Amino acid sequence: MSQVTDAPVLHGKSVPPEVVKIPHFSGAFREERFFLVLSVFIGIFAGMAVVCFRLFIEWTRIGLLGPAPEPHTLRVLFIPALIGLVVSVLVIHVFPQVRGSGVNQTKSALYIFNGFIPFRTAIGKFITAALAIGGGHSLGPEDPSLQIGAGLASALGRRMNFSREKLRLFAPIGAAAGLAAAFNAPISAVLFVIEEVIGRWSVGVMGPVVLSAISSVVVVRWFLGSQPIFRIPPVTSARPTELIAYGVLGIVGGVAAIIFAQAIGFLRPKLRGLPKWTQYLQSSAAGLCIGLIGYLGAPQVMGAGYEYMDQAMHDQFTWKVLAILAGLKIIATTLSFVSGTPGGMFAPALFVGAMLGGAVGGVERIFYPHLTGTTGTYALVGMGVLFAGFLRAPLTSVFMVLEVSGNYSIIVPVMLANSIAYVISRSLQPVPIFDVLTRQDGLDLPSLEEQREEMVLRVEDAMRPPPTPILEAGETVGQANQSIQHSPATVFLVRLSPSGWASVTLDLLKRLESEGKSEMTLGSALPNQSLPYLHPDFQLELALRYVYQTPVVPVVSRADFRKLEGVITSEDVLNKYRVVPREEED
Amino acid sequence: MPQVTLKPITSRPPAVIASLAVLAIFGFIGVTKLVNRFGEQQKALARHLYQRALEDQKDGKPDLAVEHFRDALVYSPDNFEYRLQLARALRDTGRTEEAEAYLVSLWERAPQDGAVNLALGRLAARQNSIDKALQYYHNAIYGVWSSDADDRRLQAWFELIEFLLKENARPQAEAELITLSAELPPRTDLRLRVADLFATTQLYERALAEYSQVLKVDDRNERALAGAGEAEFKLGHFRDAERYLGELSAANSQDSQVARMLEVSREVLARDPFRGYISIEERNQRLRGIFEDAGKRLESCMASENGKPQAAGLSALETQWNDMKRELVRLRSSREAGLPNRVMDLVLKIEQQTQICPPSATDEALMLLAQNRGSEL
Repeated sequence: MSQVTDAPVLHGKSVPPEVVKIPHFSGAFREERFFLVLSVFIGIFAGMAVVCFRLFIEWTRIGLLGPAPEPHTLRVLFIPALIGLVVSVLVIHVFPQVRGSGVNQTKSALYIFNGFIPFRTAIGKFITAALAIGGGHSLGPEDPSLQIGAGLASALGRRMNFSREKLRLFAPIGAAAGLAAAFNAPISAVLFVIEEVIGRWSVGVMGPVVLSAISSVVVVRWFLGSQPIFRIPPVTSARPTELIAYGVLGIVGGVAAIIFAQAIGFLRPKLRGLPKWTQYLQSSAAGLCIGLIGYLGAPQVMGAGYEYMDQAMHDQFTWKVLAILAGLKIIATTLSFVSGTPGGMFAPALFVGAMLGGAVGGVERIFYPHLTGTTGTYALVGMGVLFAGFLRAPLTSVFMVLEVSGNYSIIVPVMLANSIAYVISRSLQPVPIFDVLTRQDGLDLPSLEEQREEMVLRVEDAMRPPPTPILEAGETVGQANQSIQHSPATVFLVRLSPSGWASVTLDLLKRLESEGKSEMTLGSALPNQSLPYLHPDFQLELALRYVYQTPVVPVVSRADFRKLEGVITSEDVLNKYRVVPREEED
Repeated sequence: MPQVTLKPITSRPPAVIASLAVLAIFGFIGVTKLVNRFGEQQKALARHLYQRALEDQKDGKPDLAVEHFRDALVYSPDNFEYRLQLARALRDTGRTEEAEAYLVSLWERAPQDGAVNLALGRLAARQNSIDKALQYYHNAIYGVWSSDADDRRLQAWFELIEFLLKENARPQAEAELITLSAELPPRTDLRLRVADLFATTQLYERALAEYSQVLKVDDRNERALAGAGEAEFKLGHFRDAERYLGELSAANSQDSQVARMLEVSREVLARDPFRGYISIEERNQRLRGIFEDAGKRLESCMASENGKPQAAGLSALETQWNDMKRELVRLRSSREAGLPNRVMDLVLKIEQQTQICPPSATDEALMLLAQNRGSEL
């Protein structure tokens, strides 16, 4: 049986992938290998940068808010506002590019700017995000880490003589390294970058992304130890009936994710539409509100809040406190983010998820005391739920929980709850938060979720039944003319021996007969050229490459290349494309 | 966004890799210095917060102590001692589930650690879980301790026994005590503690043996004399009890319980009608005396408890006592061999049923005589 391949088939042979040779790279250092080596260095530098970033955040936090921020203290009330003012001045006058989401800026680099992210942006993100997070703004360090990694990689890539395709990939590779270092979780980072930034799986992309993520995590563990971000309490595996409880968590999480995303999507353009001078005060005003929340008794919502997620997982808050903290965190993060304060939404989303998960688990246990899941288990599942519902990265959300918890017995509840949250979120808010932000910024980047969900047209959707009769290579020209005399078709397919297909027109057959070649077999009378053929499951775009080379392209079975499933012509392809938009409208 | 084209640094990959490697080495050196400085600062902060937590505990602010222990752990998350102290503080403030989560995580890291096992044992004891307490206390007893290992092991053992006694798990407590007594170092305070626990579990023979060990070393030890006296008393060995308690009394003991036991012991010894080497007359006289005292006890109790429901059966006893008094004249006859026992039966019944009235030392003595008749006192 022939090897099954997704590559197009021409003249009976698979077309080899394009090999790009760059003149500067020769011998052992061909571009591909050098690219892999560089991706390791990108991981190392991104890892070191993220370590410094984390230290800077901690020093800022301790210096500004004290080692243990306590409510009812003036510094908790005023420091976020003061820092907001400082950050606003820096963002407006020194680092204007640091506003916005690092994920989107990395995507812009990939799709618009040929992999270009100004190094100044990475530096600006480092300084302003560390000040903001350390100063109590409710934002996370992961998105800035991602952008710092991408900025470093971009700066390195621009100084190399790589092809444009490779240059574009530097930023996502750095992004994966930065995110992996921030989360101390390489698999999740790789998946996120593939799922949300690059949007395609291929060995050429996977290799460098994985290498950079792994090397950055190794560096972070080298410096900061290998302990995970959270101490995961014993995770209990659920009885099948308990999955209902996790399903409820998925519903609540999905709704919370929509509220969170809608609030950001609604308020951000409103604030950006205000007069420019207000931008000096927006971050400060957000800081004052957050400071007030902290002052009145909830300093947990300030900063990234990892230590409080840890505490929530260890049953240190009642369900009421957990629910209140989840609500306040949504408010605080929305204020921080829409005011243009640099920082990410990963940590806040995890925070909201952990608190919400713990709260839902607590309430459920009041009504059903026999539930065996601990608060830690619900908090952990809740994190995944918000990740899936708010950030809309379903695959990453599952792996992130597994990677953070190191426990595979939790996989079923996580998958169930995340899927429910994702479906609810998609149904009620079709455009994911990152795409909302992109469009608000006036960019049109490909939405990978939309691409995933797009209807794919295949050859089988457009092909028509094969014209009859099908001629055999062993038939004589005379026999062939006999067998086609009642057929309305003008082009016929000829099955070659031992395999392959050729086409012959009615005119050609008549001409051959008039030339006295009636006794010749078709195999010897026809020009020695076999047709390219397609399989029914190939994407229709692929057919476009071949339908103009020949009047009909045979569509053959993958299991038996001599078995004809149908034929496709340029007219069939175009007709299908003309019809589909109407079908979608209907 | 403006597109900037930078001049390529090199087109020779080996040179690029070498340059990046050098840069990475310098980066590592720089970041290592920063991380070390950061680590020292974190440790100092953790120590400071830990000290504050200990002070909070001393000042009787357990909730604040918990918060400060937690803060200390934020800066030194792997510190075993801080975690252990936090777990203890949580346990002491009643947050047992949270404490257990911390302790279990510590236990997973060091399952042989005595302090962690002891803390888990105490937590199990607080939750009245005998099996878990036994498991963790045993781990603590045979575990690894960083300092004062022997003392801390023994303290854990004593704690376990006291917990088992509190939980009425007598067989387990006795087993632990017997094992412990065999492994005790030659220290008076420990022997006395074990002896007291034996006495609590009513293993008086073993208690006596331990007290005797102490008295061999220190024959004037008041606690041992009192314990030995009480053990002998409980065993019905009134002569030995009188000896120990007498010695104690001579040493000016102010203990009223000791004085009472001594008084009862002396009365038992003085009034025992079944004692060997006394004449029939002496025996009969003692029996009559006991009988008369029982009658007086009945009479006074009936007078004080008159009309109360508890005193309902006392008048029937009075009738029996009067009937027995008429029979008592036959005590001289050697043919009435069963009469002394019948007298003592009635005395026992009277003393038992008049327990509703506060008994005197004489009453206690009469009860003991009636219960232990014929045995070697």
